[in-house]
Amino acid sequence: MKQIIIFAVLLSLGYFFGRRAEKKHYQSIIEREEQMISLPTTSSKKVAHDKREIDHCQLVNGSMVVSVDYFKRILAKLRNFFGGNVQSYETLIDRARREAVLRMKESCPEADMVINLRLETSSITKGKKNQVGSVEVLAYGTAIYFL
Amino acid sequence: MKYKPSLPEHNDNVSHDQPVREFVILFSAITVFLLIVFWATGLFVDYAVDYISPEMEAKIFSSFNGSKAGVVSPKDPKQAELQHMVDQLSECIHLRYPLTVHLIDTEQANAMAVPGGRIIVLNGLLNKVNSENGLSFVLAHELAHFIHRDHLRGMGRGIVITAMAALVTGSGSDFTQLFAPATNFNMAQYSQTRESMADKKALEILACFYGHVGGATEFFKAMTPNDKGGKNLLGHYFNSHPQALERINNLHRLVKEMNFDAKTVKPLNDVF
Repeated sequence: MKQIIIFAVLLSLGYFFGRRAEKKHYQSIIEREEQMISLPTTSSKKVAHDKREIDHCQLVNGSMVVSVDYFKRILAKLRNFFGGNVQSYETLIDRARREAVLRMKESCPEADMVINLRLETSSITKGKKNQVGSVEVLAYGTAIYFL
Repeated sequence: MKYKPSLPEHNDNVSHDQPVREFVILFSAITVFLLIVFWATGLFVDYAVDYISPEMEAKIFSSFNGSKAGVVSPKDPKQAELQHMVDQLSECIHLRYPLTVHLIDTEQANAMAVPGGRIIVLNGLLNKVNSENGLSFVLAHELAHFIHRDHLRGMGRGIVITAMAALVTGSGSDFTQLFAPATNFNMAQYSQTRESMADKKALEILACFYGHVGGATEFFKAMTPNDKGGKNLLGHYFNSHPQALERINNLHRLVKEMNFDAKTVKPLNDVF
């Protein structure tokens, strides 16, 4: 009985705090994306059709490590029985991706554009049992500064 | 072409479903599935138990030795007297079941039926009962478990449930706890019925041996002060043994139904 109560408390704590954190994070992401919107970022390797001369370029990167709350973890495990979209992890990865790109952009506010954008993910607690899984998303690219 | 920066209106990478709803649906589906599986395997265990004779049981479990901690020597006068009582009770109901009593020196008060024809008596029990009849009732209750083969049924179910839990959720994960209510409920409901059945049979054995059922409720009465009573309504369904007070009432009802009477009880043998 005691174990069930502890479990239920953890579950609801995970749900409410996870939800709150997510909401706040999305608000901040949207605000910052609007601020950084004037910095074009592409995955192409070359500066396309621009007559301006390049002054210098620089490697820039941004990364975010994201972990999952208790409620989402249990929900994903339940989902494992039946298969299908693991929806509970979707927002998590989406947030990490966008945050990583934002951090990369924020590291070069003076740049004119970022080319060759790449995204990579790696699992930090790969294969270890009874550990809360966390994922790192790394965004890197080449910041271009025109003359 | 001019570059016009803008943010997408919708985030298509994220599903906008309700997670709580998803949780409830998935959780109830698995719970229903587990309840059905446990029920079905329970029937299978009951079916299999009918094919295990007492002799076969003794053979299977002869190499099955539990911890020796606290076990008193076979020559102990208390143990010998308990063995004698069990033999006499079995004889009265013409029970042919190779049974041995093991007395364990501990403060705890309990008795249990273990596969292999073993009755384990925890020494604290001897301090809780005041008369020979009271002690006989507890032993008769364990005898009844052997007659009904409850010890095998219980173990069979336990094995199935443990195996299922390990298979489905992976052993030792916190996730297993999520389905603990489903498994506990199943087990508790089942063993509550078996305990009540054993109580009924025990009354019959007591009436056969002493001619009356005096002293039957002694042990439960002694255990009542530690009981939570009816306060914990939810916990009640998860208890395998019906709560002491309820068992006393149940026994009184049975005594009335079966027209047994309670006369004066015999004092306990001096060795206790």
